[in-house]
Amino acid sequence: MRAERHTAFDTAHPLVPAVYTVLTVSFTMFAFQPVLIMISLAGGLLYACVCDGPRAAAMSLRWQLPLMIIVALINPLFSASGSTELFRLGPRAVYLESLCYGCAMGGLFAASVLWFRAATHLVPFDRVMALAGNAAPTIALMTSMSMRLIPRFMRQGKLVAAVQDVAAACVGQGQAARSGARDAVAGRLRLSTVLMGWTMEDSLETADAMRARGWHAGVRRTVYTRFRFTALDALRIIVLVLAGCLCAAIAAAATGQYAFYPRMSELVPWWGYAPYAAWMLVPTVLHVREEARCQ
Amino acid sequence: MPVKSDVRAAEAATPAIEARNLSFGYTGARRLVLNNLSWRVEQGAFALLVGGTGSGKSTLLSLCKPEIAPAGMRTGSIEVLGSPVEALDTAASARSVGYVFQNPENQIVCESVWHELAFGLENLGTPQGEMRRLIAETSYFFGIDDWFRSDTATLSGGRKQLLALAATLVMQPRVLLLDEPTAQLDPIAEKNFLHALFRVHRELGCTVVVATHRPQPMVDYATCAFELVDGHISPVANLASLRAQPHLGNADDADRGEQEGAPGSRAQSAAVELRRAWFRYGRREPWVVRNMDLTVQAGRIHALVGGNGCGKSTLLALMAGVQCLQRGSLSAASAARALLPQDPRALFIAETALDELMEWAPRAAYDEEDARRALERVGLAGSEGLHPYDLSGGQQQLLALAKLVLLKPRLLLLDEPTKGLDIAARRRVAAALRALCADGVTVVMASHDLDFVQQMADEISMVFDGEVACTASCEEFFQGNVYYRP
Repeated sequence: MRAERHTAFDTAHPLVPAVYTVLTVSFTMFAFQPVLIMISLAGGLLYACVCDGPRAAAMSLRWQLPLMIIVALINPLFSASGSTELFRLGPRAVYLESLCYGCAMGGLFAASVLWFRAATHLVPFDRVMALAGNAAPTIALMTSMSMRLIPRFMRQGKLVAAVQDVAAACVGQGQAARSGARDAVAGRLRLSTVLMGWTMEDSLETADAMRARGWHAGVRRTVYTRFRFTALDALRIIVLVLAGCLCAAIAAAATGQYAFYPRMSELVPWWGYAPYAAWMLVPTVLHVREEARCQ
Repeated sequence: MPVKSDVRAAEAATPAIEARNLSFGYTGARRLVLNNLSWRVEQGAFALLVGGTGSGKSTLLSLCKPEIAPAGMRTGSIEVLGSPVEALDTAASARSVGYVFQNPENQIVCESVWHELAFGLENLGTPQGEMRRLIAETSYFFGIDDWFRSDTATLSGGRKQLLALAATLVMQPRVLLLDEPTAQLDPIAEKNFLHALFRVHRELGCTVVVATHRPQPMVDYATCAFELVDGHISPVANLASLRAQPHLGNADDADRGEQEGAPGSRAQSAAVELRRAWFRYGRREPWVVRNMDLTVQAGRIHALVGGNGCGKSTLLALMAGVQCLQRGSLSAASAARALLPQDPRALFIAETALDELMEWAPRAAYDEEDARRALERVGLAGSEGLHPYDLSGGQQQLLALAKLVLLKPRLLLLDEPTKGLDIAARRRVAAALRALCADGVTVVMASHDLDFVQQMADEISMVFDGEVACTASCEEFFQGNVYYRP
């Protein structure tokens, strides 16, 4: 069972973390400037550390890091622009600028992944569903039913495969074990056929169960969840939006000033990095505060 | 509820359900499922509706709820609480008639318990304040408050079914219809569910109608019973007659026991043997099988009994070779094994029953004649052209069994072979197993059906906490047990 966790924005209306998450992910994806990317990456990494523990955060880097390196290395091969030639690879020149551009690209990618993961902590799925359920009940219900179908499919698929394997072993005694790609493909096809029939059959009963409890009764649906949108929530959102505007201006200014080609602009200390860093640290700070309060 | 009693007394004259000259036939079928029947259930009754699979119990119940009524030709009238069912729209029907289905897995709609409870009320547009009160009350009544925030996927079958009952009752229906509500539950969960149902009847004054082919566990709660046979309904005069333990055997069953006595004493070879077996599903998972020793004698029917999650199914998977032990040893006398899972639909792929049996024909070297004979043996002659999904639950089980038997296994592993089956189907499964046993096939079955186990098994092992608590011959086993008996 999923443990109840206390996270940042735990007691706020879900719209508050949703606004924060959307803004943060957009900053991360659009602010293409080395320092801003570093700040966002650090913020995402720090939050992953406080949320899942440093070990789990490091584990998630295990596949992100190679990906970053690949992105960084591939870029110079495709874009031969820049002015500082590092070396020649056959007929193509590899430039420092292009390599740095690739590194920044990789960093941006890793930061985005980290923030998307953070989003699942900040705005838990059931809260999204509850919010969406108010606006579009059919879509919300369909999504949640499909989500539940996946583990069920896996479970049933394993069972079907197991039964088939036992039967194959039963007739295959003495003969060589079945092998070959054709058998494997036939096996997969068979699996999906069985699962299809099974699921369709089950869903007929689910549909009846829904109708029996008044689904599509033709009245305006009400909702159980009571997310009270308090004055404090409104205040939080106003603050977030104002701070977000500032960060957006900072990001626009920084990105506009900076260029990778033909020669990388020089990076200088700037006051604008401080509020941007503060923004990226918000969930970490809130989480640590919340944890401290729980104890 | 004393306040309401006057109102109820005045209304008591109106029956909860009244059907007059009701006939029903499915579209495309010539036979009438219900044939000119008249039926009356008084308000406040706890009525049982008994009859075999396919007798039309579910059809009769679903006709009381127009939004789930099957397609077909209906004549005659059916009234719920004095108003004809045609007059009920979806909302009115949901408010007045609750319906609980057989399969706990399929009737759960939402991802979390609280949402499942709220689902019906949300559909009906119940104002939030009232909804929250109703849900709070219902949760306390059923003791759901402890797992109110759980995901529905993590619940046990018994809890899922209890949730389905609660999610129906939260809409405060006056009449509650249940279609085989406990067929998929183990005996302990079944008792829990029936107890909750009894409280619903007694404390809330709800009229309850339960369709079942196995009335024994419910007789104590019932106030009346009806039997549906060949489309006709008749009241059961003597409720106690429903309590009798049905006999699964045939005439030559009696001397089989004596025959078994002799070979039982002589030293037998083991079909499967587990020695100091340890098994878990993952490195971080707890042990499911711990230090287990178990010997299954060749040519006998060995039953594994025990509560949910005690490791019975895992044990079958280990014996089938689907899973491997982490420590200890498992030796099987023959590699010719077959596994029949709880749901026979895991085996079905073809469009017709005959094609189904022919699936493994080239590899297992049998022909269509063998397949036809196999169908005949399990009593499915004439069903060759039917789609496996159009067969009843019992017939599906028999078809799957016939399909596996064609592989000529020496060891047959069955997981809950009689789950949800009526007495006729259980008899046929029993006969099929006896025939196999006569051919020297070893059968290991995990089952909650203690009736079936008592009448079929030679040896019984009780599995508890990943170990075998005891293994004994059938007689010895049930003599020694205080609680665990049919």
